[in-house]
Amino acid sequence: MTKRQTRLFFLGSTLLFAVIFIGLTLDTHRQITALTHAEQLTPEVLAGKRVWHEKNCTNCHTLLGEGAYYAPDLTKIADQRGAAYLSQFLKNPSTFYSEEKDRRLMPNLNLGDEQIRQLIAFLTWVSHIDTDGWPPRPLLVSGTFPGARTVRAGQEAVSNDPVALGEALFRQSPPACSGCHSTAEGVQLVGPSLAGIATRAAERLKDPAYRGQAKTAEEYIRESILAPSLFVVPGATFAAAGRSFMPDNFDRLLQANQIDQLVAYLMTLK
Amino acid sequence: MRFKSQRVAYYYFVVAVLLYALQIALGLLSAAKYLGPDPLLHILPFDKTKEIHTNLLIVWVLTGFMGAAYYVVPEESRTEIYSEKLAYGQLIAWTLMGLTTVTGYVFGWTAGNKLLEQPFPMKLVIVVVMLAFLFNIGMTIRKAGRWTTTEGVLVAGLVSAALLYLPALIDFDNYTVGVFYRWWTVHLWVEGVWELIQGGLLAFLLIRLSGADREVMEKWLYVIVGLTFISGILGTAHHYYWIGVPKYWVAFGGFFSALEPLSFFGMAVYAYSALRRSGLSHPNRLALHWTIGSAVYSALGAGILGLAHTWPAVNKWTHGTLITAMHGHMAFFGAYVMIVLAMITYAMPGLIGRDEEKSSALGMWAFWLQVFGMFGMTMAFATAGIVQTYLEHIMSIGYLDTQHKLAVHFIMLIATGSLFAVGVLLFLLDFFFVMVSPRAGVRTTAREGAAPWSPAAAAEAGK
Ligand code: HEC
Ligand code: HEC
Ligand code: HEM
Ligand code: HEM
Ligand SMILES: [Fe+2]
Repeated sequence: MTKRQTRLFFLGSTLLFAVIFIGLTLDTHRQITALTHAEQLTPEVLAGKRVWHEKNCTNCHTLLGEGAYYAPDLTKIADQRGAAYLSQFLKNPSTFYSEEKDRRLMPNLNLGDEQIRQLIAFLTWVSHIDTDGWPPRPLLVSGTFPGARTVRAGQEAVSNDPVALGEALFRQSPPACSGCHSTAEGVQLVGPSLAGIATRAAERLKDPAYRGQAKTAEEYIRESILAPSLFVVPGATFAAAGRSFMPDNFDRLLQANQIDQLVAYLMTLK
Repeated sequence: MRFKSQRVAYYYFVVAVLLYALQIALGLLSAAKYLGPDPLLHILPFDKTKEIHTNLLIVWVLTGFMGAAYYVVPEESRTEIYSEKLAYGQLIAWTLMGLTTVTGYVFGWTAGNKLLEQPFPMKLVIVVVMLAFLFNIGMTIRKAGRWTTTEGVLVAGLVSAALLYLPALIDFDNYTVGVFYRWWTVHLWVEGVWELIQGGLLAFLLIRLSGADREVMEKWLYVIVGLTFISGILGTAHHYYWIGVPKYWVAFGGFFSALEPLSFFGMAVYAYSALRRSGLSHPNRLALHWTIGSAVYSALGAGILGLAHTWPAVNKWTHGTLITAMHGHMAFFGAYVMIVLAMITYAMPGLIGRDEEKSSALGMWAFWLQVFGMFGMTMAFATAGIVQTYLEHIMSIGYLDTQHKLAVHFIMLIATGSLFAVGVLLFLLDFFFVMVSPRAGVRTTAREGAAPWSPAAAAEAGK
C-alpha cells in the first residue's frame, strides 16, 4: 500500500459514509413528526422548553437519559406524578424533600405559576415521545419497598389471577402507583403507605369528615383511585387547597378491568 | 523551536493549563455535592459547578489545540506564522470569551443545553475567533506553499471542528431534533474530527520523538483517520437509540459504533510500533510518557470503555447513569487532555529558549499522579455506575435511595480525584517554575556522555 492509496481510502470512505448519514438524516426528518407527536408542540410546550433550557434543568437531571446524573431522570415524570403534585413540587421542592433526609435537595428556582404550567406541558409532551421502550423499567424518584413482595417492576404477570395482575400493574409506569405509594408499613413517599389499606379503608368510612359515596372498603379504594380529591387523607403534604396530589386521570388512563385488578390487589393488603 | 513566531504557542499553553487547574477545582466541588448536604446549595448549586467544569474542559482543550497548531504548522510548513498579532489578539478574545461565559454561568446566563451551554452571543464570538484562527493558519500554509500530511490532517480536524459547531447555533422547536443535532457537534467532535487532531499531533510527536520514517507514519495516519470516519459517522447513532427517531438508527448505531474502537486501537499500535524502533531514548522522557500515555489511555477509555456500553442491549440499561461519566472521563483524558499535555511538554524546552531537552522529577510525578488518579476515578465512577444500573434501572429502586447506597463510591471518587488534582498542581509547578529554571529539580535524563540526541541517530540505533 502506498500513501496515495491510503489517502484515497480515507477520502473515499469519508465521503461515502457522510452521504449515507445525510440521506438517513433526511429520512429522519420525514418521520420525526409522527414519532414525537410534533403536532402537539403548542406554544405552551415550546415556552416550557425555553424555561427548561433557561433554568439549566439538564445540568442536574437527565431527560431522555441525557444530561447530568445528580438528579432523577424526568422522561416519564409527567406520567408518574401528574400536574397537581408537580405544580406544588416546582413551586417549592422542600415541601417534599429535605437535605437531612434525602441528602440532596432541588433548590427553589423561583418559578412563576405560568412557567410551571409551561414546564409541565413540556414534560408531558416529552413523556409521549416514542422512545422505543426506554426506560425498560420504571425509573422512580424514591421508594425501596422493603418487605414488599418481590414482583419485579415492569415484569409481565404470569397468571390470570386478578391479584397478581393488579400487583404487576401497581408497579408499572404508568400508572406508577408504586412511585408514590409504598406497601411497607410506615414508609411515606408522596402518598401514604398502603400497608393495611384494606383494613384502614373500612375505618375511613366511619370518619366523620368522609364525604364520599362508598359503602364498603372495596368501593372506598375504587373511589380513591378514580376520584382522589373526594376524600383527602389527612397529612401535611397530600393535597393543596383540597385538591389531592394524586393524579385524577386514572379513569381515562386505565381500563375498567385494570381498576378491578388494582382493587383486588389492594384488598389483599390487610 | 525553529521559527520565532512559534512562541505564541507558549501563551496559548499558559492559558490552557491555568483553565485546566480551574476545571479540576470545579470537578472536585461537583463531586463533593454528590455526597451532600451542600452548604452552597443556594449560591452555587450543582448545575452551575458542573457546567463550568465541562465548559472549562472544552475551552482549555481547544486552547491547547490552537497552541499546538501554532507550534506545528510553522515547523511543518517551514515558515513564520502569517500574523503573530492576529494570533495574540485571537488568544485574548478567546480567553475573554471563556471567562465571560463561565462567569455568566454563575449568574444563570446559560443556554442550558448539555456541553453547548454557551449563550448565543458567546457562540458567535466562538465562531468569529475560530474563523480568525483558521484564516491565520490557512494563510501561513499558503504563504509557505507547502504542507505535510501530518499538518494537513491536523488542520482538516480543526476546520471540521469549526464547521460542526454551526448546528449548535440553531434553536430547534422539537426537543428530539435538538438532541439529534447536539450530537452532530458533541459526538462528531470527540469520535470524529477531534480524532484527526489527536492523530495529527500523535504523528507529529512520534516522528520527532522516535525518528520513525515520515512516509510510513503518514501512510498509516490516513488509514487510522479513515477508520475513524467509517465507524464514527454512522456511529453517531449510538446516541439515537432512545430519543424518538426512526428505529433503523439502532441497527446502524450498534454496528458502526462497535467498530469505533478500531481507530483507537490503531493509534495504540501506531505509537507502539514507532517507539519499538528507537526505544525510549529521546531525552524528553516526559513528552514521551504523555504521548504513549495518550495512545494507551484513549484505547482504554474510548475504545474499551466505550465499547462496554455502546451495544443497544447494554445501553438500554446503562443509558443515563454514572457509567456514562466513567467513560467520558477516561476517554476525554486519554485522547485529548494527554495529547495536549504531550504537545506542551514536548514544545516547552524550545519555547522557553533552552537547548537541552530535559524533564524534571516533578514532571514525572505530575504524570503518574494524574494517570493513577484518573484510573481510580474511573473505577469509582464504574462501581457507582454498575450499582446504579442494577438498583435503579433493573430493580426499579428509587433514584434517591440508590444514591444513598453510592456514598462509598463517591468518597472514593473524591479521594482519587484529589490525587489527580495534586498531579495537576505539580504539572503547573513544573510548567511555571521548574521547566524554566536552569537548576532546581531538573535532571537530564540523557545518559552521561552520550552523543547529542537526533532523530537520525535514534533511527540508526533502532535498526
Ligand atoms: C441543582 C440541581 C437541580 C436543578 C437545576 C433542577 N433540579 Fe429538579 N431535582 C433535583 C433533585 C436533587 C431532585 C430530587 C428531589 C429532591 O431531593 O429535591 C429533583 C427532582 C425533580 C423532580 C421530581 C420531583 C418528584 O418528586 O417527582 C422534578 C419534576 C424536577 N426536579 C424538575 C426540575 C425542573 C423542571 C428543573 C428546571 C426548571 C429542575 N428540576 C432543575 C435537582 C435539580
Ligand atoms: C403523584 C403521586 C400518586 C400517584 C401516582 C398515586 N397516588 Fe394514590 N395517593 C397519593 C396521595 C398524595 C394520596 C393521599 C391524598 C388523597 O387521599 O388523595 C393518595 C391516596 C391514595 C389512596 C387512599 C389511601 C388511604 O389511606 O385512604 C389509595 C387507595 C391510593 N392512593 C391508591 C393509588 C393507586 C392504586 C395508584 C395507581 C393507580 C395511585 N394511588 C397513584 C398520591 C399518588
Ligand atoms: C478531580 C478530578 C475530577 C472530578 C472529581 C470530576 C468530577 C466530575 C463530576 C462530579 C461530574 C458530573 C457528572 C454528572 O453529570 O453528574 C463531571 C462531569 C464531567 N467531567 Fe469531570 N471531574 C474531574 C476531572 C475531569 C477531567 C480531568 C476531565 C477531562 C478529561 C473531566 C471531564 C468531564 C466530562 C466530559 C464530564 C461530563 C460527563 C458526562 O456527562 O457523562 N473531568 N466530572
Ligand atoms: C475520545 C473519544 C471519546 C470521548 C472523548 C468520549 C466522550 C463521551 C462523553 C463526554 C459522553 C457523554 C456525552 C453526553 O451525554 O453529552 C459519551 C457518551 C457515550 N460514548 Fe463516548 N467518547 C469517546 C469515544 C467513544 C467510543 C469509541 C465509543 C464506542 C465504542 C463511545 C460510546 C459512547 C456511548 C454509547 C455514549 C452514550 C452513553 C449513554 O447512553 O448515556 N464513546 N462519550
Ligand atoms: Fe458518541
